[in-house]
Amino acid sequence: MSVPGHNLDRMFNPKTAVVIGDKGPNYMWLKNNQTFQEKGGNLYSVQIDEKEIEGIEKLGFKNYTSLTDIPEPIDYAIVAVPRQISPYVLNDLIEVNAASAAFFTSGFAETGEEIGITLQKQLTEAAQNANFNIIGPNCMGLYLPKSGIRFNPDVPAADDGEVSFLSQSGTHSIMFSLVMAAQGMHLSKCASFGNAIILDISDYLEYLTEDPDTKVIGLYVEGVKDGSRFFHALKEACRRKPVVVWKGGQTEAGALATKSHTASLASPEPVWEGIMKQCGAISTSGLDETVDVMKLLLNSKSTEGRKLGLMAMTGGQSVSITDAFCKVGFEVPSLSKQSYDELETFFNIVGGSYRNPLDMAGTIQGNTETLQRILTILDDDSEIDAIVMEQSAMFGARQWRNKPEALDAMLDVLAEHKKRSQKPFFTVMHPAHEEAFVVEVRQKFAEHQIAVFPNFERAASAAALALPYCLVK
Amino acid sequence: MGFSDLVKQAHTEKRTVLTEIESKNILREVGINTTETFLALSSEEANKKASEIGYPVALKIVASGISHKSDVGGVILNLQNSEEVVHAYDSILRNIQNTHPSAKIEGVSVQKMAAAGTEVIIGMTLDQQFGPVIMFGLGGILVEILNDVSFRLAPLEEKDAIEMVDEIAARPILDGVRGQEPCNLKELYKMLLQISVFVTDHPEIKEVDLNPIIVNSKKAVAVDARIILNDDQDERQTL
Repeated sequence: MSVPGHNLDRMFNPKTAVVIGDKGPNYMWLKNNQTFQEKGGNLYSVQIDEKEIEGIEKLGFKNYTSLTDIPEPIDYAIVAVPRQISPYVLNDLIEVNAASAAFFTSGFAETGEEIGITLQKQLTEAAQNANFNIIGPNCMGLYLPKSGIRFNPDVPAADDGEVSFLSQSGTHSIMFSLVMAAQGMHLSKCASFGNAIILDISDYLEYLTEDPDTKVIGLYVEGVKDGSRFFHALKEACRRKPVVVWKGGQTEAGALATKSHTASLASPEPVWEGIMKQCGAISTSGLDETVDVMKLLLNSKSTEGRKLGLMAMTGGQSVSITDAFCKVGFEVPSLSKQSYDELETFFNIVGGSYRNPLDMAGTIQGNTETLQRILTILDDDSEIDAIVMEQSAMFGARQWRNKPEALDAMLDVLAEHKKRSQKPFFTVMHPAHEEAFVVEVRQKFAEHQIAVFPNFERAASAAALALPYCLVK
Repeated sequence: MGFSDLVKQAHTEKRTVLTEIESKNILREVGINTTETFLALSSEEANKKASEIGYPVALKIVASGISHKSDVGGVILNLQNSEEVVHAYDSILRNIQNTHPSAKIEGVSVQKMAAAGTEVIIGMTLDQQFGPVIMFGLGGILVEILNDVSFRLAPLEEKDAIEMVDEIAARPILDGVRGQEPCNLKELYKMLLQISVFVTDHPEIKEVDLNPIIVNSKKAVAVDARIILNDDQDERQTL
């Protein structure tokens, strides 16, 4: 889907892309974007170096020695030429009326060197005069999984992405994309925009606000150039869809680091937090928290309520899960009389408890019908706004490995419950001694669209931030 | 004198800090509750003013270049009669002459003591990325140390003002503790919104500080105020 008539629409939905100045032996940019060709896009190379052309053609790409020879209109160009060459390349791009270009090339104002500053100024002026869309320079550019445009060889070219991410850092944009994929979530669009000499965060943000494929927006921000415009763009985006803002440089020393990273000015942390609240954004402070929040937004129903029904497997965990959630402002109330009356009829209270939190392994004993019964009781209980369930890899992994159908059966029950219930439902599974196996198990949770977090604290913090904004209807 | 005249005058006098009396007059003009404050040039004048407005009164130094008046013995509160006023006037002048021998003293301000209540502060500073940011917090030394304040970008909506007040950690104090009546929060929201409109309308302002504001169950009144203008008097830089 696209946003017809938008200035950035061709760039975000490219049909023809070109890589300028890619180099062997790796031909990183051409190889990264083989997926674009596989998905039906036209991918060309522009390279004038004879020594490189042979390798490029061997990979199966058509090479041109001049941008002006390319037969199709160019929607997206990846520029990886030495910095001194970049103004000439930009002139050609403007001449052929290309829709956009990401300059992977670095060595501009970020170096503090005079030549870098001069070259950046040259690029900026030329692009401004021609109204040309530059991404970067000094960036990883776009990752458009559905089109197959990639900035890294390991990020998936999936078609079902719902999250779009904008980042002042190239590394964070790649790592976010990879960690999201590892957690079973895909991106729709991602831009690493580096020095942002032409297109700045608000330009991308305004597009994503309109983009129907983008259900959730994530931002990694160190500082913004036009604060007032960003404020209005963010406020409007938040009115339309959840926006998660991960702020880099929250401490004084961190803010100093952003100064040398992206030359960003920092606002005092409480000012930034106040402005995020004012816009209605979800403010996070790291990669994992950002991914956790995304997971809940995409996989849970929403509630403004704070009263939780907690299902733990054992006594110690029932205490820990309660502490973790109450510390961030949730409540774990007593259940209704009706719930207690029913739980009393079958709950094994020897080594267990059905107060709230529930300590229930001894009652469930692998019986999915009992599990379903407990879920239904909590679902029907008007004292409860949301349900959280602990999964024990420590005790369960051995059985799940030997009897995978037991895990499948449980997940089916949970998925059925989730579909039926109007209350948020998510799970927590500490990997304990089974890190490697839990990676597989977690994948199954993702397939069933059940959010699973690696510990109570992360689940609690994601829930505190995201529950009011979750998207599942 | 209207605000634009005052700005011109300050510019001519090459100063950016408006005095307490100037600041309060301007704020009152835009509808913000402040204690009415008069300049006295002698202890006799102070005495006369005090008896006109009624006891108890507070006396404060009026001098450019002194920003923390109470730290240097420039503020004496709760004066009950003529004798105390005359004595306070002389003490204030002596304190300032001792601590700030070069200060340009204009006189001493006389104002009626505000009714008892809780001290809060409202301020505006320019954030280098976003521009004019409104601040709210409880007054007093403890809160200054704990940095228990909330911020929002101007202009504020009503919901922003409500959230700002709700957000501070010391919020329960405003509901009244140990038998105190709850503070009139609507008066605080109103004042936050008034300050927001004021600074939005006047980009020549660099900083506003209403500290303290006394709020009780009936109303909120700024008993001290300071406005700082931009150096160049041009539109403020919001980058």
